[in-house]
Amino acid sequence: MTSIQKQKQKIKNQLLPWLDVIAITAWGILMLKYWFTGKLNLLIHPDYFWLVIVGAIGLLIVGFFKGIQLWQQCRRYEAPNNQQQHINLFPPGWGSALLLTTAILGFIITPRVFASQIALERGVTELLGATRAQPQAFRPTIRPEERSLIDWVRTLNVYPEPDAYTGQKVKVQGFVIHPPELDQNHLLLARFVITCCAADGYPAGLPVHLGENRNQYPPDTWVEVEGQMFTENIANKRQLTIKASSLKKIPQPENPYSY
Amino acid sequence: MNQLNNGFTLFLSLLVEAMPFLLLGVLFSSLLLFFIDERKLVEKMPKNALLGALVGSMIGFLFPVCECGNVPVARRLLMQGVPTPVAIGFLLAAPTINPIVIWATWTAFRDQPEIVVLRIVLSLASATIIGFVFSLQQDLSPFLQPTLARYIKYNPPPKPESKRKGKYYQVEEQATANTILQSGTYILGGKAGRSTKIGGIKQTNIATSNLNKPFADKLRLLLDNIIQELRELGGVMVLGSAIAAAIQVLAPRELILSLGAGPITSILAMLILAAVVSICSTVDSFFALSFASTFTSGSLLAFLVFGPMIDIKGVGLMLSIFKPKALLYIFALAGQLTLLFTLFLNLHVM
Repeated sequence: MTSIQKQKQKIKNQLLPWLDVIAITAWGILMLKYWFTGKLNLLIHPDYFWLVIVGAIGLLIVGFFKGIQLWQQCRRYEAPNNQQQHINLFPPGWGSALLLTTAILGFIITPRVFASQIALERGVTELLGATRAQPQAFRPTIRPEERSLIDWVRTLNVYPEPDAYTGQKVKVQGFVIHPPELDQNHLLLARFVITCCAADGYPAGLPVHLGENRNQYPPDTWVEVEGQMFTENIANKRQLTIKASSLKKIPQPENPYSY
Repeated sequence: MNQLNNGFTLFLSLLVEAMPFLLLGVLFSSLLLFFIDERKLVEKMPKNALLGALVGSMIGFLFPVCECGNVPVARRLLMQGVPTPVAIGFLLAAPTINPIVIWATWTAFRDQPEIVVLRIVLSLASATIIGFVFSLQQDLSPFLQPTLARYIKYNPPPKPESKRKGKYYQVEEQATANTILQSGTYILGGKAGRSTKIGGIKQTNIATSNLNKPFADKLRLLLDNIIQELRELGGVMVLGSAIAAAIQVLAPRELILSLGAGPITSILAMLILAAVVSICSTVDSFFALSFASTFTSGSLLAFLVFGPMIDIKGVGLMLSIFKPKALLYIFALAGQLTLLFTLFLNLHVM
């Protein structure tokens, strides 16, 4: 080994442990940042926030102690004892580099809420009236106009006869989807339901009868719909539909998912 | 652009969810590596093959490692003279049968407890059966990597006391670079064929010698081990999540649905998915959950049982123990058993 190579090797050995520390600390900060800025809502279910927060603090603690240790070694001019030559999954530094790159991307790119495109890909049309086999929460005593969109879908799941709800008042919020099965006077009002993290989000929704052309409500617009329930034949299926008496555009809610 | 951002959001959500579990797993495995004397564990192993395989399948409760961490532990067990069925049972079941994974599965499938129970039962059964099948092979060396086989042949498990003496200082130098994962280096790192040096020999003693170390040293090694595992497994997890997110975005669920909704085809689709997606067993239940509304319960179970045993990400690690031929047998056996069990459930129970 030439002296230049040795020199390079030495610098590498000095720097790689710091890469670990930076990558681990960056992830801790990133997770806390999502929490502070409220973006964690877009990624996981609020029940697991504590898990992320504790995890982030844990990462910061690990990074902090390793940092102190390295700092002391630097001051004493010791070679770092964390030798890098025994890595089998990645070449030296790759694991940390991957982690760090992802964390940096996470700082730059803001996560966004899922919209109609994903909803269509995940088969919202199929879910027009049927979501999961087991509704997770069911409150039958609630007044009809206080039900959220997801409450409606779940209620419908438990008792699927659309005629049973005819004439009941509705006031729900959701985003607009234009599924190909619906004609120009209808749109689908939907929300994503997440059980754990955004990866398992699935859409649920109800069709809305507008009485006017739907084009002034482009996909992904958030609207509040008021009206009454009635039964309509859509795609050869009797379907509980909202007959809208008023539609109001609203800003995207702070927490766009339902649970 | 839209697609990319959606994919990135998915990717981040998988990572943010998985990171705490990874940290917990790494903490546990590091703590146990330094505070449990595995030699005593070895002495207590039953000699009966079937019983051994069953016990081996349950060691995961003591070493809560996911499928990235179980390989080095299984290798160390083999080298310490643990009977084969025990080691193979451990290798296949540990990623599922451990408190963290069971808890994570429970978190994800709160509303379907039968999935949690069946995941445990089926994993135990498959791992025990495969471990037992391998016990029928009297001499395991044709199945093992040559270096490992040679080590076991020439280093029969010694008496615990004699081995501990004099090794302490030798281990000292090695221990600084200590990690669960690096044991496989000598094969994957291109040093295969160097018969005189086995990366893991000295390391087999680390766990025991660590028990005698001063506390401050232990803490330092603990920290190093945590960092090492976080770096390695974190990197693997980033790749796994990226692939998983890409699949979710590029292959709309309607496409995966079209792979199969029947009792057999749905299971086959999920088996393939389990092997391809390669996500860590601590988080795979959350991933499976995303299919809960579209796939049969049997196929979800197939994913949850088969995924931790075999996946693309883990093949590299497992090749540090077995020859490709043996690995193929394990793959085939695990796949068939999972298929049979879950098919039975699909057709007769759920």
